[in-house]
Amino acid sequence: MEIIIAGFIDSLAPFNLMFVAVGVTFGMIAGAIPGVNGPMAIALCVPLSYYMSPMTAIGFLVGLNKGAFYGGSISGCLLNAPGTPEAAATSWDGYPMAKKGQGEKALRMALYGSVSGDVFATFVLILVAGPLASIALYMGPPEIFALICLAMTIIAGLGTSSLAKGLMAAALGILVGTIGMEPVSALPRLTFGLYQLERGIALIPIGIGMLAFSEIILQLERRLHVGGDCDATLKFSDKPEDRFVTKKEYFQNFKTILRSAIYGTAVGAMPGLGAPVASFFAYDQAKKSSKNPEKFGKGAIEGIAAAESANSAVCASALIPLFTLGIPGNVAAALLIGAFVIHGMIPGPLMFEQNAQFIYSIYGSLIMASLFLLVIGKFGLKASCKVVSAPRVILYPIIIFTCLMGSYLGAYNVFDVTLMLFFAFLAYFMNKWGYSHICFIIGFILTPIWETALQQVIIASQLDPIMFFKRPVAMILMALTLFVVTKTTLASFKKT
Amino acid sequence: MTEKTRENAVSGGIALGSLLFLLWVIPTFTPAYPGYGVSSALLPNAVVGVILALSVLQLVVGLVSQHKAKSSNTDKDTLEDGETPSGDQIYLWHFASFMIPCILLFPALIFLTFIPGAFLFLALIQYLCGQRNIRTLVIVSACTTAVIYLAMVYGLGVPLP
Repeated sequence: MEIIIAGFIDSLAPFNLMFVAVGVTFGMIAGAIPGVNGPMAIALCVPLSYYMSPMTAIGFLVGLNKGAFYGGSISGCLLNAPGTPEAAATSWDGYPMAKKGQGEKALRMALYGSVSGDVFATFVLILVAGPLASIALYMGPPEIFALICLAMTIIAGLGTSSLAKGLMAAALGILVGTIGMEPVSALPRLTFGLYQLERGIALIPIGIGMLAFSEIILQLERRLHVGGDCDATLKFSDKPEDRFVTKKEYFQNFKTILRSAIYGTAVGAMPGLGAPVASFFAYDQAKKSSKNPEKFGKGAIEGIAAAESANSAVCASALIPLFTLGIPGNVAAALLIGAFVIHGMIPGPLMFEQNAQFIYSIYGSLIMASLFLLVIGKFGLKASCKVVSAPRVILYPIIIFTCLMGSYLGAYNVFDVTLMLFFAFLAYFMNKWGYSHICFIIGFILTPIWETALQQVIIASQLDPIMFFKRPVAMILMALTLFVVTKTTLASFKKT
Repeated sequence: MTEKTRENAVSGGIALGSLLFLLWVIPTFTPAYPGYGVSSALLPNAVVGVILALSVLQLVVGLVSQHKAKSSNTDKDTLEDGETPSGDQIYLWHFASFMIPCILLFPALIFLTFIPGAFLFLALIQYLCGQRNIRTLVIVSACTTAVIYLAMVYGLGVPLP
């Protein structure tokens, strides 16, 4: 109990609170700018976290992620151009409302839905993560190895258009993850004679290159060659009923918000499904159970509440597999692993034993981030709407320059900038050819744990091929992996 | 080049690249087995093997479906009137026009020092992004350079290149 209280008190330190608030604000702004999303903002800010204490850094990044989840709805509602796929469902009703002059009301409902879903998922995380982690502690290397195989297969199968392409991308990520010192022999591997590669490749050049730089190049390409910009709908009605969400309206939608938060939490806890699945599913369920389903798509406030509550719940619940198993639920959680590692911690069940106080201070930061989101979102609503109309011709060069300087910041090394450009190049072509760079990043991040588990299995079993059959949990996990592969392959064959 | 032909070319390229890794890169750049633990080449060989197997499978499936499409005359080669280019079309010149200044940025920062180098880089990138208003171009370049310089030198204490 003392540890819990101490952890929560740590999170309330003024400096930490300030950075959580800064993170939420940055995240909201980043999410509101079309084309900039949460993972991109986190990737750009991870180098800054070098200069912070672990608690401040994680609080800042968690706040950034939460802010970006809500921020995405601002461009979705006002531009009908959601910066992130999960905000698409919000824009289906948000944009029609904005066109009627009810943009402010739509954004307020999005904010309340977002905060409610987020708070719900945060409390589920707090209640569930500890007990699950204590169960996970009984898992040995075979189970960890099998679990990572299953998680990567699910991510590759569900998060991409083709399982084969997803698996190839993850395998390429693993191959890149093997560059550097081999964990057992401590001899340099696949370094091509470059001493800079002996320390391995850091997450920062990969994260910035693949998530931010290549994305900006692709967006510029669409803007300059394909076309497709649209104007913001920033005309707001002055009538109070078009501006505010009353308590009555909130409680009328409370059932939908709660149900969507449950869907979002469940989806977020499963690696690979992600916020878009949660928001579309919750939106669909809200429409089915609504008394006025015909209003959906034409400006139903209930639709906004459902979509936002579900996608924001994913933000916190994606941390459940991260804290309990060390497996990221989505790309933002994957980037958080990088931030944890930078500060000398490896997310997973052992964290509850080794850094229990730190875990509780993260919980405190998560709760504070939700509160800040509510306050900053409410009072900064008009200002954040203006961000939507920020000219991209000014924003893009600034982001490109920030990407270059951000990748230099990691190790004060020009070689990291070169690596960032190389991975941007790789991500550009992966994107064009339908290979998921998200699978690549998750494969890369999980390599050290996966390889260590594999080596431990091989050494302990003395190359016994039936090792997995002696461990029932590992066997079940491997069988599930095989099932996912077979099912997805058969489904893709049926399609062709 | 049709989408299917391109897919097959990509799968073929990946398969060839995997073979190159298996036959030359991994054996050359992986240390010899030290006599304890597991060979360092095990995981790279295993993942490249997976990539090779999947790319060959994809190539075979692609070739079969392309053959089927050709025999039923559904394989389109060119855009018809009114069709817009798809998002997966590669604009190599566009890509290179942004990559080249980025590759040259750090040598320029070393040669010209940070402030003029960053200013020129930002001005060039803005121009490439479509900014044609000279005043905005200068103001944005100057302000961004100043903010990043101050943040890096005085805020974070970073040694500039």
